Amino acid sequence: MEQYYDKLMECVLEGEEEEAVEITRAEIENGTDPLDIVQKCLVPILDDVGDKFSKLEIFLPDLIMSADVAKAVKDEIRAHLLSSSNDSESAGKVAIGTVQGDVHDIGKNIVATLLEVNGYEVIDLGNDVAPYAFIETAKRENVDIIALSSLLTTSMPYMVDVLKTMEGLGIRDQYKVIVGGGPVSAEWAESIGADGYSNDANEAVELCRKIMAERKAG
Amino acid sequence: MKSHTRLLTVLDRMDNGPVMEEKEFDKLISKTVRSLIKKYDLKYDRNEAIITDDDLADRFFEAGLELASAAGVYCTDTHTRMVFSKEEILQALRWAPDALTIGSGLDQCTIVTRRPEDPVTPKIVGGGFGAPIPEEWFSAVMESYAKEPVIDSIVGCNFFTTHGRTPKTRSPWEVLLAWREVELIKSAAQRAGRPGIGIGVVENAVSEIGELSGSSYGGFPQCDWHHTCFVSELKTNYGLLIKVAHLVKTGCIIHSFYNPILGGYAGGAEGVAVCAVAGIVMECVVNMATTFSICPTHPFYNCDTAPELIWAVSAAQQAVNRNTHLLTTVMTSPVSGPMTESLLYECAAMAAAATVSGTARIDGVRSAVGVEVLHVTGLEARFNGEIAHAATGVSRKDANEMIKEFQKHYVSYLDKRPIGKSFLEAYDPIKVEPAQEWLDMYGKVKDEVGRIGLKMKY
Repeated sequence: MEQYYDKLMECVLEGEEEEAVEITRAEIENGTDPLDIVQKCLVPILDDVGDKFSKLEIFLPDLIMSADVAKAVKDEIRAHLLSSSNDSESAGKVAIGTVQGDVHDIGKNIVATLLEVNGYEVIDLGNDVAPYAFIETAKRENVDIIALSSLLTTSMPYMVDVLKTMEGLGIRDQYKVIVGGGPVSAEWAESIGADGYSNDANEAVELCRKIMAERKAG
Repeated sequence: MKSHTRLLTVLDRMDNGPVMEEKEFDKLISKTVRSLIKKYDLKYDRNEAIITDDDLADRFFEAGLELASAAGVYCTDTHTRMVFSKEEILQALRWAPDALTIGSGLDQCTIVTRRPEDPVTPKIVGGGFGAPIPEEWFSAVMESYAKEPVIDSIVGCNFFTTHGRTPKTRSPWEVLLAWREVELIKSAAQRAGRPGIGIGVVENAVSEIGELSGSSYGGFPQCDWHHTCFVSELKTNYGLLIKVAHLVKTGCIIHSFYNPILGGYAGGAEGVAVCAVAGIVMECVVNMATTFSICPTHPFYNCDTAPELIWAVSAAQQAVNRNTHLLTTVMTSPVSGPMTESLLYECAAMAAAATVSGTARIDGVRSAVGVEVLHVTGLEARFNGEIAHAATGVSRKDANEMIKEFQKHYVSYLDKRPIGKSFLEAYDPIKVEPAQEWLDMYGKVKDEVGRIGLKMKY
């Protein structure tokens, strides 16, 4: 397991998807419990990757590579577990995008990637996203969380439009809505009735963890 | 404007360039930057505040030029790469203006090209650069910049409210935002006794709607400097190119900015500098701008004053200012806000770094990274300008040691966001004069800056 951990870490950092899948398959065939692979290897490795990014020891392209490798490993494990286990399922489903009138997307991309690295299924709607597009996606994909980003004060009102439209449609309670971005603050989030705010990508992951724990607790 | 002649070529490249998925373009940038960093042996040295080596600056220029010609600029509406050969890029750089007069009448000023360690004083711009301001205080805040003699030109903030409403960009509200900006910023200039001062506009035009409206009849004239930009990294879109086409056809001065993201597709400090060089030269080619701003952004602090970014700014500015005659500008975007000493030290570090690196115009200050409502004042812009005047002619070697000292006064605050106090507390907002406490702090830091070795002129 220790040797596998080191090899997997190398694959994650180098973006070696095929090799990661191969060594994972071999590890399972050697009798290692697939759930142990997730909990004792993949999760701590991805925590480490997130930590490296927070210290800027690695950058966004490395983070994206890591997310791709993690997804490939999880797909391999899922194939072995078939439908018998819940542990390899998505940590939650998030629709994310930069709101209308704003084309800044690197901050949003960092959040999306870090969520993927942490096991969330992420639907990235891109930037300059109309309020109704978030809602349509949430309904169609049955997401848990809608994550709205804005880097501009003059785009922030579109966050209000998302919430108001959800209220108007009577579906506000079905989805949690979180907000973030340069000019967005906790006070703003509270004032518009959002379910949460995060200051950076790491906080966003923690916020989603908390929201999903509450949702699962019912 | 002789640099405005290639509009049709630009639009043809937009329509007919190689098609590529946006994610593939992001990867192309990342891979190309990494390979260029190796090829040209570019390495961030965390022991130095700025670069002081001409050969290194020239290698950054070559790397940036190679990135520009290899990747081009991506148009997110056509999904095409707008590609220009190295020869075409050099041709565009050759015909770019080396001097620019902005504003009108007695208040006009001329920005001239500078080299690293140049004895010519850079021009100074004061303004909040998009910081959110409620409309009732907008004009007073702008007056606080316009009334500072060291400031040659002003630039607006963003309205937090307009006509008592919360405005939305890319909606009819953006037209009203643009016209409110015309009305209130011109009245501020008038009250300060500088009716013809050059203005950076249309600050509230997030989309093309505000620019087209705010620069139409009775709005901002051609002699103001009109904004467009690239989106990080090296991307544009129809909205931004509509601004460019409009500004070219109406003969307006074009100011273009581009802000690479540390830790993003550009990578570390070296990659940010390479992207910044590529961005500036492509803003010359594609946006046909006359002034070129960079303000690289930290992914967690949102500022440009983190040590690795000041180093990257110095590298990119020296690269461009040694190898072209472009009119470069750098904006100070600190984490700290008014009535904090750390704000002034952040200004000192960035303004000194840019000035000795040959930047033609020093801009700022977007205090508290421009996100806290009403947390900008004219006094920090005065200080930013005074630092630039003091650093003029200083050697990079000496500036490097001084900036290291300035950084000791603020780096530990970067993750604490000391936003300070609002304009209403830092100034008498009716008389538009700094509060005594803020003036005392400013005086104390000036003394300390002098003790560190930067001789203030005023």
